[in-house]
Amino acid sequence: MSNRTNGQTAPVADVDLPRVNIDDLIVCLKYYVDEENAHIRIKNPEICAACDPKPCLAFCPAHVFETDRHGRMMVGYQACIECGSCRVACPFRNVDWHLPRGGHGVAYKYG
Amino acid sequence: MTDRLTFDAIVVGAGPAGVAAALTMAHGGLNVIIIERGRFAGAKNLFGGVFYTHALADVLPDYWERKPPFERPVTEQGYWMLSPDSAIRVMHKSERYLKEPADAYTVLRARFDPWFAEQAVAAGALLITRTTVTRLLKDERGRVIGVDTDRPDGCVYAPVVIIAEGVNNLLTQQAGLIASDLPPKYVALAVKEYINLPAKELQTRFGLSGPREGVAIDVFGDVTLGLPGTGFIYTDQSGISIGVGMLLDEFVTHRLRPYEVLERFKNHPVVRPYLEGGEVREYGAHLIPEMGYDRMPKLASDGVMVAGDAAGMVDALHREGTNLAITAGKMAGETALAAHQAGDFSAAFLSRYRRSLEASFVLKDMKQYRRMTDFLESSPQFMGTYVNLLNEAALRYFTAHGIPKRTMEHDILKMVRERRSFTGVAWDMLKLMRAMRG
Repeated sequence: MSNRTNGQTAPVADVDLPRVNIDDLIVCLKYYVDEENAHIRIKNPEICAACDPKPCLAFCPAHVFETDRHGRMMVGYQACIECGSCRVACPFRNVDWHLPRGGHGVAYKYG
Repeated sequence: MTDRLTFDAIVVGAGPAGVAAALTMAHGGLNVIIIERGRFAGAKNLFGGVFYTHALADVLPDYWERKPPFERPVTEQGYWMLSPDSAIRVMHKSERYLKEPADAYTVLRARFDPWFAEQAVAAGALLITRTTVTRLLKDERGRVIGVDTDRPDGCVYAPVVIIAEGVNNLLTQQAGLIASDLPPKYVALAVKEYINLPAKELQTRFGLSGPREGVAIDVFGDVTLGLPGTGFIYTDQSGISIGVGMLLDEFVTHRLRPYEVLERFKNHPVVRPYLEGGEVREYGAHLIPEMGYDRMPKLASDGVMVAGDAAGMVDALHREGTNLAITAGKMAGETALAAHQAGDFSAAFLSRYRRSLEASFVLKDMKQYRRMTDFLESSPQFMGTYVNLLNEAALRYFTAHGIPKRTMEHDILKMVRERRSFTGVAWDMLKLMRAMRG
């Protein structure tokens, strides 16, 4: 955090987070996947390839972003829960994000 | 031109703001269309879970007779301050919360929002679901005159459009009401699980005497690894809503997976027993606009107004949002009614909307807490250091070690001084007061 006044670093580095398999969580979600239309696309794959921190691999709450064996960014838009985090938090604004077509995407049962 | 699909008003989004606007306009006799991208109102909506009824009563005085699908009234509420292995719990329970209807209820949005939208339909509004608005239609002078949708020949026209699109403010930007996307330091990402538990078991665990009691707990400290943010545990009818939210920037900077932060919270020794044996029925995530008063969009322009999350109407400190949204929706609806009477949909006329909001709690509260997000971000010790200090002080205070109490008090003060100097504490308190007083 560059703008923190007291110079104190947050105590997160030494915290061990439990591993969670995201599939176990999204399995209970209802999706109406738009097979013809990906509502999330990478604008320029080279930018992702050159992005070292790739924070989207962590912050996306549905783990939509994943790199393949060659380090290329893959977008599993089918699992997206449409929060919009990647739209605003990609450090290079390299995510082309649209709302899914009407009626598609996630449909919460509880919310 | 004659076969254009035309209404008196268009509402984009069937969440609390949009439905409140549509209800108000329909009650006033306008021909209103609500366009919702989900399969039903609420399909895309998720929040922590506390809903305040005062705003609902303003738009629907007889809401109680219409049997809203509330989960539980909030009859006990307060804060848990977690350190890694302990918790200080400050809860307020009162007989005075036991009234019907209550001031606050826990709510699941995929159940509540459809009910609320039905009330607007009953009042005469037309609800079109499964339809995404793709852009605003403007005339040659830049005035908003309608919307385009992803339906074939999907243009819809009206002299006034109320944008209630939620936190992903694409149309608000297109209307020119806000210059850019919300930066990740001004938007929180929250993840939540809905965990099923039989009502009886839930009541035993939380000390509730029946279905007419419920608990709302906001959690600080170790829940967010000491980072600025909060967790929550709310009791639903037969389940628990549990979640954690932090500024999106924190997830980015520290490379945290939100669902792992939540899992860690669920495994906290103080939390785990409440969830034991419960079954995760749903997981979800949502952004919360926390840009505050100073970064809100313009609220109106020619032919258009914006309400709810799209306008950043959130009071994070008091976990309020849906009530701000409903009040704002109502005021936007009233402004649209007045505009129809005057035949004037100009930005100048629609600026009445902002004046109504300024006179209400919505903008008064937003203004008072305008520094809150910046304060929390600049003072991470509030969530981490202080909460841990309090827990350790409590442990010393409540333990008999055969150490003189004077020594114990001295130890506690020494601990404070080591972790945060007295001047640091004084400075933090001053900043906190400024952030609270506005």
